[in-house]
Amino acid sequence: MRKPFQRRSARHTETAGKHKSFRGFLWIVPSFLGVLVFYLLPYADVVRRSFLGAVDNHFAGIENYRAVLENTAFLLAVKNTLRFTVFCIPLLILIALLCAVVLYRSKYGGIIKSAFLMPMALPAVSVALMWRLLFHSQGMVNGWLINLNLQGSDWMNSGSAFWILVGSYIWKNLGYDIVLWMAGLAGISENIYEAARVDGAGEWQCFWKITLPNLKTSFYTITVLSFLNSFKVFREAYLVAGDYPHESIYMMQHLFNNWFRNFSFDKMAAAAVLESLVLLALILLFQRTLDKE
Amino acid sequence: MKHKVWKRTAAMILILLLVWGGLTGCSGSNQEGTGNEAAVKSAEEPNTEGNSGERAMGRFLEEEIETDIAFGNIFDIKKLSDGTLRLIGFNADDGTRGAWDSKDQGASWEKVYDFPEEIQDSDQGYTDRGALSADGRAVCVFNQIEEGVGIKPKLYLLDQNGGGTPIAFELAGSGGENAQEKMIMGVNFLGNDQLLVKSETDKVYQISVEDGSVKHTYEFDGTADTHQVYTAGKKMIVFTSTEALVYDTETGEQLSPEETLQQGLAEAGLFHSLDSLDEGESVYCLSGGGLYHYKFGGSVMEQLIDGKMNSMGAPAFYPITLTMLDEENLLVAANDSNSNSPTGIALLKYTYSADTPAKPDKELKAYSLYDNREMRQSISRFQKEHTDVYVNYQSAMSEENGMNVSDALKTLTTEIMAGKGPDLMILDGMPVEAYMEKGILKDLSSLIGEEGSYFENILHAYQDEQGQLCAVPARFMIPMIQAGSAFYTPGEDFDAFTGRKDALAKMEPKPVVEKFWYTCGAAWKKSDGTLDAAKITEFLTKLKNAYGDYDSSLDEAETGVAMAMDGNTEEIGKLSFGYGDFDLAFGRTNVNIGLCAKLDYGMMTAVNKRLEQGDYGLMPGQVEHVFVPAMIMGINSKGNQTELAEAFIKYLFSQDSQKISQSGGFPVEKEAFRSVIDGHQYAGQDNLVCVGGTDLDETLDYEMTPTPEEEIKKFTELVESLTTPAIRDDVIKEAVSEQGEKVLKGEISPQEATDAIMQKVNIYLAE
Repeated sequence: MRKPFQRRSARHTETAGKHKSFRGFLWIVPSFLGVLVFYLLPYADVVRRSFLGAVDNHFAGIENYRAVLENTAFLLAVKNTLRFTVFCIPLLILIALLCAVVLYRSKYGGIIKSAFLMPMALPAVSVALMWRLLFHSQGMVNGWLINLNLQGSDWMNSGSAFWILVGSYIWKNLGYDIVLWMAGLAGISENIYEAARVDGAGEWQCFWKITLPNLKTSFYTITVLSFLNSFKVFREAYLVAGDYPHESIYMMQHLFNNWFRNFSFDKMAAAAVLESLVLLALILLFQRTLDKE
Repeated sequence: MKHKVWKRTAAMILILLLVWGGLTGCSGSNQEGTGNEAAVKSAEEPNTEGNSGERAMGRFLEEEIETDIAFGNIFDIKKLSDGTLRLIGFNADDGTRGAWDSKDQGASWEKVYDFPEEIQDSDQGYTDRGALSADGRAVCVFNQIEEGVGIKPKLYLLDQNGGGTPIAFELAGSGGENAQEKMIMGVNFLGNDQLLVKSETDKVYQISVEDGSVKHTYEFDGTADTHQVYTAGKKMIVFTSTEALVYDTETGEQLSPEETLQQGLAEAGLFHSLDSLDEGESVYCLSGGGLYHYKFGGSVMEQLIDGKMNSMGAPAFYPITLTMLDEENLLVAANDSNSNSPTGIALLKYTYSADTPAKPDKELKAYSLYDNREMRQSISRFQKEHTDVYVNYQSAMSEENGMNVSDALKTLTTEIMAGKGPDLMILDGMPVEAYMEKGILKDLSSLIGEEGSYFENILHAYQDEQGQLCAVPARFMIPMIQAGSAFYTPGEDFDAFTGRKDALAKMEPKPVVEKFWYTCGAAWKKSDGTLDAAKITEFLTKLKNAYGDYDSSLDEAETGVAMAMDGNTEEIGKLSFGYGDFDLAFGRTNVNIGLCAKLDYGMMTAVNKRLEQGDYGLMPGQVEHVFVPAMIMGINSKGNQTELAEAFIKYLFSQDSQKISQSGGFPVEKEAFRSVIDGHQYAGQDNLVCVGGTDLDETLDYEMTPTPEEEIKKFTELVESLTTPAIRDDVIKEAVSEQGEKVLKGEISPQEATDAIMQKVNIYLAE
């Protein structure tokens, strides 16, 4: 008499399991739909367009990719974007970590942390205006230098423009990264430090052997976010120096911006596909490296 | 379980509602100012199809009345109590001032009387203003010229038959050299027995017609730039550019503010004329926005005529007087240099047509970066001939929106790609070559009229290798130079001109570089599309030689001009040929250079007379025979109204449209070109002009006469010799002028400037 019941029960469990997995799928449907509609489908359209003509949509094969890879403006923009990333990201991460560790131990860390976040609250236009006031050939910095009997410079129209942009990026994003690092630091149990200290570990050893390994997850998040935020620096560069800034701060977004204005959708699409592939490869590589460790 | 189903159903419904709400929120339906919020009810509103699906009908149609009399000025037109229309003004044919009557609503006019001899123009004075009352009497302002006193304005009352008697009224501060109020700036009848007289200081006197006694005096705080005074029944209405003030003329007190009228003024723009059909219970007001009706105390100001659909909104249209014949007919006298009238005084009749759709069936979208007055004028005429077409013309760059070229172009790109772009584009300042290359523009070669009637050299400026004309300049400007023989020899080249040190001395550096960029830029482009650095260095070096040392006092002058003019006007003004003629005439500069967009022969001759062997010619440059294409027209190949756009292009290149002259460039049609340079409008007239500069002691007197035949020939040959279109690329121009200015100021060397230009421009060209 029990067998049929047991069979029913087994069948029921199986069905329930299927339901459960199906229910799990349902939970992600809304966000997946969002990603599909707003990211994946447009991306697929960009890939499609990268093989078509700009406006007439004739099939162009890999002509657009060839044109982009031979385009000196594209190569300059890639070089500058990479250079900017290579300088900025490590600098930002290290400075932010240093500040986070100091602030985490400080009694007034919470308040100072908020002060570091202030630049993020400032509108990009105000920041750009400030940079212009400071670094114009007849701006405040040159005024101060002249008062000190030093030679001024046309900062935004020389190689200095790059370093001004690096400074601007670090100044603006430092607070955000500090907050992320501090959140990571807060997640490390104090017991581990106490145990290590009981075993005779010094401050440096604690930092090197406990803090850093435990911040690995935060490191991944912070690096990726900082990397993505580095693309937003275009706003300041554009507002300060316009469509055609000094060649050292001519970024990918300048190029996309100008291509869009001139209906060069073919080149834009091809360049976007190339850029997305490189970015994806970099992020996957970075993730894999961290996972291996 | 049952509850769960209900919960899920409710949740689903809520989600659907949220999604629907979100999507409709994004639908872009933009209904501004509906219901009580809008002070002005648009003339276009009634045409929106209602639930019944019926189309709203009824619109005022414009007709220009061609009279036998060439009115050189119209002071006032009034509908008299017996229905007759009376007009007082000036007959340009015989030079007399008088009154005319019309019994057929303005179609024909008969002389009633001439003004009395003592107030006709003579050495003793002239009449420049007048007003009519409903009983047919007229009042005129005669500006009497008195020895030792100057101009002394006098009021004359004319009875119905033209018998004149002086009114015993004098402006409080008039008479004598130091008079505060020398002139009467406006006069209106208040009923039949009183007048409102506006003085130079915008003080308004309410006086009796009979004895000139002042009943009330109205004074304003002087903060407003203008005070337009009108009467409606017993009310006096004063418009400033921001305020509408209403006064009771019985008490002289200001009435409580009419907020709707005020708001209407803000939306419609300054009202230039006003009339009433019901003794001041309501008023009809005329502005560039059209005709508006307002009932005092009401909550809505109704737009009866949309100025965008006729001459009212045209840039060269300055209304003189509005006369309401009845609710469905009105007359407007206006100063309109582009009307069919040879004197520029147009008489227009607007009649309500119940059979015409309230809004034209078809809409043609036109777009430009900068406002184009010739375009607005052409639209006004085109719409008059095509009552079923509404041309919606938008210019992207205005003082209000603060948009820059780059942002405007990006918005345009988005709209074109979304299929919502303009049908017609004025491509000035846009990347014309890129648009042609990408197939954005349609070939126009079949639309331009017969060969031989146009300056083909100009017309084909943007012809591509396949012979297609995707962008065609409807007008052009000529880089010109005027100077004495010490600094310029006609026909000389760039090397010879710049070889003279200080030829360009004391001129503002940036405009100098920009002007020469037009005549030299075309020489820099190499066959591979890049720029020739050596040519740029040579250009800057030679220019610096001709410029000499920079005079730092120019910095202050530059700031002063920049403060007095808005950005775009300043930019365009400084490049124009007319900008520097005074400086040349009075020796502040050695040459006058610039883009010539209209021939002011009288002025040019007057300047030449002050120079030693003065002459004019094409501006020297690294390329010779350069012209600057202007009003470059293109049709959006992705537009929705391509056929209509083609019809408009055909009209733009017709003689009728080409003859329109608003200083935006010479017409490419030969006959029209001749008509804008020959000065025919001055024939038979005695026009002595005295032009003053910033320094009051500097005046140039000259006579405006028709251009002599040999000058017309010389100028036409000069145009026919033009072969090279100047590069109209704002990115390169900006880079060159920015660095070139530094070279002329001595801040950097030509080589450094070239490096900076090449760095910036090479990226641009590589894109």
